[in-house]
Amino acid sequence: MSAEPKVLESYVLAEFATPDALVSATNEMRLKGFEGMDTYSPYPLHGGSEALGLPPSRVPFIALGGALTGIVTALAFQTYMNTIDYPLNVGGRPTLSLPAWVPITFELAVLLTAFGIFFGILGLARLPQPYHPVFESDEFRSASTHGYWLSVPKAVTGKADDIMDQLKALGATHVTVVTGEKE
Amino acid sequence: MAETAAHTAAALDPLEPRPLVAPHHDDKSLNETLLDHVWAKPGKGWFMLFGLALSALGLLVLGVTVTLARGVGMWGNNQPNGWAFDIINFVWWVGIGHAGTLISAILLLFQQKWRTSINRFAEAMTLFAVMCAGLFPLLHTGRPWFAFWLFPYPSTLGAWPQFRSPLVWDVFAISTYLTVSALFWYVGLIPDLAALRDSSKGKLQRIIYGAFALGWRGSGRHWHNYKIGYLLLAGISTPLVVSVHTIVSFDFATSLIPGWHATIFPPYFVAGAVFSGFAMVITLIVPARKYLKLRDVITDRHLENMNKVILATGLIVSYGYLMEHFIAWYSGNEYEIWTFYVNRARGPYAGVYWLMIACNVITPNIFWFKKCRTSIPIMWVASILVNIGMWCERFIIIVTSLTQDFLPSSWDLYSPTWVDWSIYVGTLGLFSTLFLLFLKFVPAVAVSEVKELQLELKHAAHHGSHGTDTAAAGTLTHGAH
Repeated sequence: MSAEPKVLESYVLAEFATPDALVSATNEMRLKGFEGMDTYSPYPLHGGSEALGLPPSRVPFIALGGALTGIVTALAFQTYMNTIDYPLNVGGRPTLSLPAWVPITFELAVLLTAFGIFFGILGLARLPQPYHPVFESDEFRSASTHGYWLSVPKAVTGKADDIMDQLKALGATHVTVVTGEKE
Repeated sequence: MAETAAHTAAALDPLEPRPLVAPHHDDKSLNETLLDHVWAKPGKGWFMLFGLALSALGLLVLGVTVTLARGVGMWGNNQPNGWAFDIINFVWWVGIGHAGTLISAILLLFQQKWRTSINRFAEAMTLFAVMCAGLFPLLHTGRPWFAFWLFPYPSTLGAWPQFRSPLVWDVFAISTYLTVSALFWYVGLIPDLAALRDSSKGKLQRIIYGAFALGWRGSGRHWHNYKIGYLLLAGISTPLVVSVHTIVSFDFATSLIPGWHATIFPPYFVAGAVFSGFAMVITLIVPARKYLKLRDVITDRHLENMNKVILATGLIVSYGYLMEHFIAWYSGNEYEIWTFYVNRARGPYAGVYWLMIACNVITPNIFWFKKCRTSIPIMWVASILVNIGMWCERFIIIVTSLTQDFLPSSWDLYSPTWVDWSIYVGTLGLFSTLFLLFLKFVPAVAVSEVKELQLELKHAAHHGSHGTDTAAAGTLTHGAH
């Protein structure tokens, strides 16, 4: 909690009838120079990431980090435990039995990769986040079921009315302004 | 019924593949169809089944209590049958779980569109089956409260686990499998939980589903990471599922017991797992799609495809049996020959052996015929027979090999006690309880993925006759609660 009151976030929200209309409107708005826009849809939009001009996802790198951590950790602890700290002689087999380390190494790599992906998706999305200004609009509830929405942060360029007019011209069926609650 | 008529109409033209999603749907009607069963009050049938499942769960509580209070001596295990029902049921349940991962992961990577309607369902099955599976080795340790000894932790004893033992590999494999399946399932659920939150009518429902949805708002920036993450999860689940049953088979294959000591075990176990898992999906999905009114998204084509997989994996399993017998004879090893040709086929458990052959080798072959692949009653009965057969297979592998090994002086027969049976039936109860709760509280079909698929299909295809549309649409309104 900061001492200063947080600046209120406000967005222009526009609903489009079809996913294609949303994607092309997003493209148009991006070409006009709007930044920080976001689309909302019940399923991933084809060409949605390109329309928003997003850089490649970082999830694969986080996953790779998980995999490498898993491999190194598993090899290290098995070698330390069964070769160095507590060597067990089983029928004269070498105490450093790398082939026998493979299954656990593989499993730990998969486990940490999965954790990397899961927390990567959530972390990059800043989830869980129970509140977001877009939830102020009741109509916006359709975004998870059958609505295709675009949000434009108002503060970036000029007035909300102007943005709303432009969005209507691009085929928005419904436009509104939402303002976040004070923290 | 109009719906059946619609499906037959669609099936009439053999050159047109039958639709994966009934063609008359849009996002809104899909919502209604797929979320409806969550909002609807469960019917009498659900409560009856739930009661039945709970009573079976009671048997589990009883069996586990007796086991914990009096020890594993209450089980039928003896010398030489140190492994019996506990391991049979463990392998059986893990195997059932594998079809879920196969459907959700491998078919996603192969871009098999038909997986979309059934993956949620199959993943839930995986999760619950692995939970049931995990109980058995845990109880078999005798003192499950010391189960953490299996994990490497700095103990005062100064000892570490023996990482050359497949039993320790199992611990890592099963716990990883359970965790990754749960993550995969939950990641897939998040958008649907948001849909439930946003279509809920009551405040309590909104809060609960909202909490599980983590504030998901379908943002394009989130989907951007989600899409690739989901694909990667599928990518790592694919080798994971193969590794898990491979490691389970190592429990046997690395030993010297006749009938276990075979290099064919890993692939043969994985095929058997997929075989029984798909059968279990059929067993569950046939009644569920009827009562949840999901025929528009889980179509006859899905069932037929699954039956084809059952046929294919059934043939692999049969080949596995053939090879085991051939190698036993070809090796010239008298213990192997005894195990396969005398003990299994003509010994004290020959009945179970021949039941296994009938269920696993003969039954799947009916799916060569389209009539059988598309007949609901036939496939349902066959799927149950396959599951019985696969249970018998594990019984045969484990019990016959142990009862008569190298020294006749150490031979002894095995028979399960009532505690064994009540724990086994109890896990069926646990599984059904969890599954019924799943069907009640969560969309049984991945709504968001079906919408995406439906859009793709609309973009791609031009077929789908008008007559079919109206007929099926009529039933939909009729069917919608």
